[in-house]
Amino acid sequence: MIKIQVNGRNHELSQDLASTPLLWVLRDKLKLKGTKFGCGKGLCGACTVHFNGNPTRACQLPLSAASGGQVRTIEGLSENGDHPLQKAWIEEDVPQCGYCQPGQLMSAAALLASGAPVDDASIRAAMSGNICRCGTYGRIVRAIKRAADEGGRA
Amino acid sequence: MKSRHVQDIRPARRRFLKQSALLTTGLAVGFHWMPGAVAGDEGNRLAPFEPNAWVRVLPDGTVKLVVHKHDSGTGTRTALAACVAEELEVDPMAVEVITPENPFFEAYIHPVWHVFSTGGSTSVSLEYDRLRQAGATARELLVAAAAKRWGLTPDRCRAVDGRVVHAGSGRSAGYGELVDDAAKLPAPDSVVLKAPSQFRYIGKLRHKRDAAAKVRGRLRYSIDVDLPDMLVAVIQRAPVIGARVDGLDAAAALAVPGVRQVIRVPARPDVFGGNQEGVAVLAEDYWSAQQGREALQVRWSASPFSEFDSESLPGRFRAVLDEPGAPLVRTLQTGDADSAWPVAAQLLEADYAMPYKAQNPLEPICITAELVDGRLYFRGGVQVPSFAREAAKAVCGLDEDSVVIEELISGGSFGAREAKYWLMEVAYLAQQAGAPVKLMNSREDEVRALFGHAATLHRLEGALDGDGRLSALRLRALSPASGEQWEPGYDERPDHMDYSTTEAISAWDFAYRAPHLDLGWVRHETGVPTGWYRSVSFIPNVFAVESFMDELAHAGGRDPLAFRLAHMEERPRHVRVLMKAAALAGWHRPLPEGTALGLATNQGYGSFVAVVARLSRRDGVIKVERLSCVIDCGLAVAPGGVEEQVYGGLMWGLGHALFDRLDIRRGEVVQSNFHDYRVARMSDMPDIEIRILEGDRDNPSGVGELTSPPVAPALANAIHRLTGRRLRSTPLDLTLPG
Ligand code: FES
Ligand code: FES
Repeated sequence: MIKIQVNGRNHELSQDLASTPLLWVLRDKLKLKGTKFGCGKGLCGACTVHFNGNPTRACQLPLSAASGGQVRTIEGLSENGDHPLQKAWIEEDVPQCGYCQPGQLMSAAALLASGAPVDDASIRAAMSGNICRCGTYGRIVRAIKRAADEGGRA
Repeated sequence: MKSRHVQDIRPARRRFLKQSALLTTGLAVGFHWMPGAVAGDEGNRLAPFEPNAWVRVLPDGTVKLVVHKHDSGTGTRTALAACVAEELEVDPMAVEVITPENPFFEAYIHPVWHVFSTGGSTSVSLEYDRLRQAGATARELLVAAAAKRWGLTPDRCRAVDGRVVHAGSGRSAGYGELVDDAAKLPAPDSVVLKAPSQFRYIGKLRHKRDAAAKVRGRLRYSIDVDLPDMLVAVIQRAPVIGARVDGLDAAAALAVPGVRQVIRVPARPDVFGGNQEGVAVLAEDYWSAQQGREALQVRWSASPFSEFDSESLPGRFRAVLDEPGAPLVRTLQTGDADSAWPVAAQLLEADYAMPYKAQNPLEPICITAELVDGRLYFRGGVQVPSFAREAAKAVCGLDEDSVVIEELISGGSFGAREAKYWLMEVAYLAQQAGAPVKLMNSREDEVRALFGHAATLHRLEGALDGDGRLSALRLRALSPASGEQWEPGYDERPDHMDYSTTEAISAWDFAYRAPHLDLGWVRHETGVPTGWYRSVSFIPNVFAVESFMDELAHAGGRDPLAFRLAHMEERPRHVRVLMKAAALAGWHRPLPEGTALGLATNQGYGSFVAVVARLSRRDGVIKVERLSCVIDCGLAVAPGGVEEQVYGGLMWGLGHALFDRLDIRRGEVVQSNFHDYRVARMSDMPDIEIRILEGDRDNPSGVGELTSPPVAPALANAIHRLTGRRLRSTPLDLTLPG
């Protein structure tokens, strides 16, 4: 059995899934569909989750490598959808199709949680691994700054 | 994404508003658009007329807008809801927007295209009037019902925030209490619409719907569909265009845990836009299916494309244009260009090339189909329901009534969901597998799916007179036909015009005037499947024309802005966006050393745009510093939505200019994922300045496909000013020494 904790809940999964990327374990076994698939190669960021607190591309992490670790997904970013970033995202009306946004939010949340200064340079560095085909980058920058200004370091 | 001149269909639009008592409860106001109905014919037509509910007010006071408009994230539904809500006096965010139970109901036929589709940046502009009238009709009926109940004349009552009130007596009634009475009243013959100065929502909306669900990862996309006993399919499609399966050994694939079936999917070259041949692996989940696919042993036949090389296309295209008898569809002709060449002070000629491009929506194509009791159910982002019907018919022999669609939002489309190969494939698999099948593209599949943007070559010739004015211009735009050829009747058009291939170069929308103009499209089919793509032919047409206008200005010693303005006639809105963009970007101000500006413009769907690019060069590296963009889209129903569409378009334009390029070598697509098919990331974005002008307040027009085309020529024009080098093919190479 492979043990992982996802959004505070413990799961035991079959050894047969050892080489299956965490992304597909989350989506197809645990039925947590908020984490998205965009490229399967660590290039787009749609599958970003927090693994032991670090922003991680779930499509690149075999379940065996996640064994014993703690995973946070978009479903676990906040209890009621009221993480400062989620509020700022709504306030700035960021999502277009919305497909990239769970990954964008998880990358942004890791940036805020890191305690690093939030400015244009750190935002670009933290967010440029997340592709948005609709073109929400400008609003993402505004929303991250808004959340940071409002003390959203949670 | 289709384009057609809006004005030439406007006279055909007919509106009938009527309220329906057919529904079991509530008030419904609908209208019916009858293709081909002529004046005097209305009495006959109205007899069997069944109104379609566009706006429904239910007894609990909820308001539903029933409309078939696919949502791929462009905020269309928010804007449509605003049009109804404005006249009905309710909060647009409280209006539920739903798709009809049967999306093929005649009223949802797109008024321009005559096919069931959402595309072409027309959604809001075409529905604007009808939705407002529907909202106003419902309001009048509710007011009349309240007035009758209170023994008053309707003019003494008012609708306010979902209620009818009588100020004199303080009486008021919620819409829900009034619907049953209102449904029994005759519909008013005409309704008075609000003046724009009275608008509370239109032009003021800053937020879209669904944002709360999107930021929690709770919105259901095609990829999230999960049904009992569902199989997930991935397809190994012919690597070389046109190749067929010559031999298949599925044993190793079938031995992979989770894999259930391997099905050969036959090519459908008999259907326009039909799928290539492939081998599908069906498994319990995506990962297993992919493992199975890697274990497949497929031998592919040779194909006529085995030697096809896209690198040779510009040369081949030039040779076609060199032929005197190249097939030409003329789009604009004035004067006699041939007479101008001998007397010209200067002659210029240039060719501009653009490569194949892939749409790459972030959610790869994904669609679920299930065949139950002779009905085919599709679940997912079906942007063109008539293609689903066509697939059901061509593949399963089902008639149109046997198709049911549960429509879900798409993770972007940009034209990818206006293809039909995947609908045909999934229909076939659902039929063969005897289980619900979810077909998923990997990113590699998406990049290699074909049906993207066509490679093109444009040849321009210009003659300048002694004053540096344009006396003659000839354009030959070489490209294949657009996805319009998939529509019924395409080949029967007497002029063989393809409106989606000749955008911005037609008689009605070419921006410039000169004594002799001779513009035309040279249809040339390479056989590589291409399809719809955000902004379709605006992209190459505008790249060529806007680059060449700069070349002409330069040759004649004119300022590129002044040169453009000097060749525009009766285009006040167009002139205004150019002037404003120039002012915004500091066109006439001195620039620091190593910095340059470039300008380009576009118009379409009744909107106008100008873009100024600012570049800098430091240590031999050219950097895009800023894009300044001014648009006039008439009335912006939801300004926040307009701004984000403009931004998205600029980002796409940056992609065309710097990244987008799909190569085909020996018949195989070379690129495979975002490492070798680059798309714009946050780190690629320059400063973006956007100004939305207050235009014609009565007439909103499209913006979704307006702003990408001028970006590449604006950059090419700036590069020329900065380095003296003229780049005539994309992606533009910023690394060449200049
Ligand atoms: S799906 Fe994991 S980075 Fe793209
Ligand atoms: S909002 Fe559509 S991909 Fe980002």
